[in-house]
Amino acid sequence: MRVRFAGLAGLVALTASVAALAASPALKPFERGTWQSVLKGHAGRPVLVHFWGVTCGPCKVELPLLGQFAKDHPEVDVVTVSADLVPNLPGATQSMLDKAGLSSTENFIFNDGFVERLRFEIDPAWQGDIPRTMLISREGTVTTIEGSAEMGDLEKWSAQQLAKH
Amino acid sequence: MIRTGLLAILALAFAQGTALAQMRAPSASEAACEEPTLRCATKATPAFGPDGTLWLVWMAGGQVSVASSRDEGRSFSAPTHVTTKRLSLDWGPDARPKIVIDRNGGIALAFSTFRDAAFNGEVFTTRSADGGKSFGELKPITASNESQRFEALALDQDGTVFAAWLDKRNRIVAKEAGQKYEGAGLFFTSSGDGGTTYAEAKLAREGTCECCRLGLAFAAPGRPVVIFRNIFEGGVRDHAVMTFTDVATPGEVRRVSNDDWQINACPHHGPSLTVAPNGTYHVVWYTNGKARKGLFYAHSRDEGRTFSAPMALGQPGRNPTRPYVLASAKGTVMVWKEFDGEKTSVQMTISRDDGETWSPPKTISSTSDTSDHPLLVSNGKQTYLSWMTKADGYRLTAIEDQP
Repeated sequence: MRVRFAGLAGLVALTASVAALAASPALKPFERGTWQSVLKGHAGRPVLVHFWGVTCGPCKVELPLLGQFAKDHPEVDVVTVSADLVPNLPGATQSMLDKAGLSSTENFIFNDGFVERLRFEIDPAWQGDIPRTMLISREGTVTTIEGSAEMGDLEKWSAQQLAKH
Repeated sequence: MIRTGLLAILALAFAQGTALAQMRAPSASEAACEEPTLRCATKATPAFGPDGTLWLVWMAGGQVSVASSRDEGRSFSAPTHVTTKRLSLDWGPDARPKIVIDRNGGIALAFSTFRDAAFNGEVFTTRSADGGKSFGELKPITASNESQRFEALALDQDGTVFAAWLDKRNRIVAKEAGQKYEGAGLFFTSSGDGGTTYAEAKLAREGTCECCRLGLAFAAPGRPVVIFRNIFEGGVRDHAVMTFTDVATPGEVRRVSNDDWQINACPHHGPSLTVAPNGTYHVVWYTNGKARKGLFYAHSRDEGRTFSAPMALGQPGRNPTRPYVLASAKGTVMVWKEFDGEKTSVQMTISRDDGETWSPPKTISSTSDTSDHPLLVSNGKQTYLSWMTKADGYRLTAIEDQP
């Protein structure tokens, strides 16, 4: 960058932070209103939103499978949301995402102590059980898979999305 | 172009900065503050002592503390810190410290911690023999250090402390044998010295759901009864009770209800059980099964062999959660949470005929931020709602008599 920023230490620090962000997307805080932003941000594209947590046994098994699915299906926007209670653990969350091959997907972490309100915005019937996967079609139709998803079902759904395109 | 690019970068940088700041902001925490005081507690568990003193054990600021109140929770004694340093306490939705107080005023505690980065748990116990002024050294409840969570404590008439928990020690055995290991084992032990030392842990049942709290009570002297989310054939995570023959001998697994919730997940939402003075089991639970969804109540008058038809609780559009039931000589009370999009309320219903009929649900407390599970506690004369809230602090609310 040739523009003279050198004297502005604060800005240098900020741009360094941005550079780091570009290299490895940080976890984004999931707060009030984030759910609607996610829906709007991906409108018109098939989206898979996966809710999970670092203390959930079945999630640990499923996450790497989802990493492979994301790699095999660039046509599907994969979004993950760590939905454990706050205090949530960004370090452990990022580490598990990295190991599962999900470093470059859009990854959120619950960041509101009032989790009931966050969950209510997503689905008033959801009581917090994880893993949970929401498949959102181009038309906005939501299919919710409670518990671990069968990869075969995800393959079938993504094939349907491609066929409709 | 450069200008636009720079602006975009700066905007991004500031957005990122804001996001990071928000990640650290206290408002994002479940706790109102970070000190080990009651005001900062995320989970507080009550018990009445034999002299009518209310005792609370809570977790706050990574520590476990206790204090007592002689004025129905309006004021508390200076807290006694049970832990001496900040620990990685189990902060799972269904975890909380446990407390029982024997007839001599001895206080037995248990709580779970995360002992490693993989969130394997370890349950610790301790006891106070001087009326809560000091507590003994923390001791693991069992010699196995594989993983334990969701401990429950109950006091028998003769002062024996019975403990049950979920334990994954046998996953090693299964792995070595090349077998799949599902869920966790229901383990138990008991203490004949008020919770100072516990007998060797024993397995009651393998293949239970690994992430839900247990319900524990005594069906009769010497006969503990546990309710737990079992894993039935086909991965169906429905509820079961087990009545022990004695504190060292597990009984049969008896299904509470056929909800048909086949799921490979952590519901983080365990049941509650109480045994009425006449021996009736009252149970409440959450399911999202094919047969029914939501909160349900049932009772059994034959030690869990048969249960009444499940009765739905709460308004389905208001996400009813966290049910709790407590029977006393004056009636059986149930509470649970509901959420209307902004506020969480505690709903209460009471039965005067041993669970046959129930009063219309009534809102007895509400709060505008996050809250602990609503719990019930009785001093033998009066039943109270015990509820820790982030916005309004700790509340003890007498359950009013219903017409």
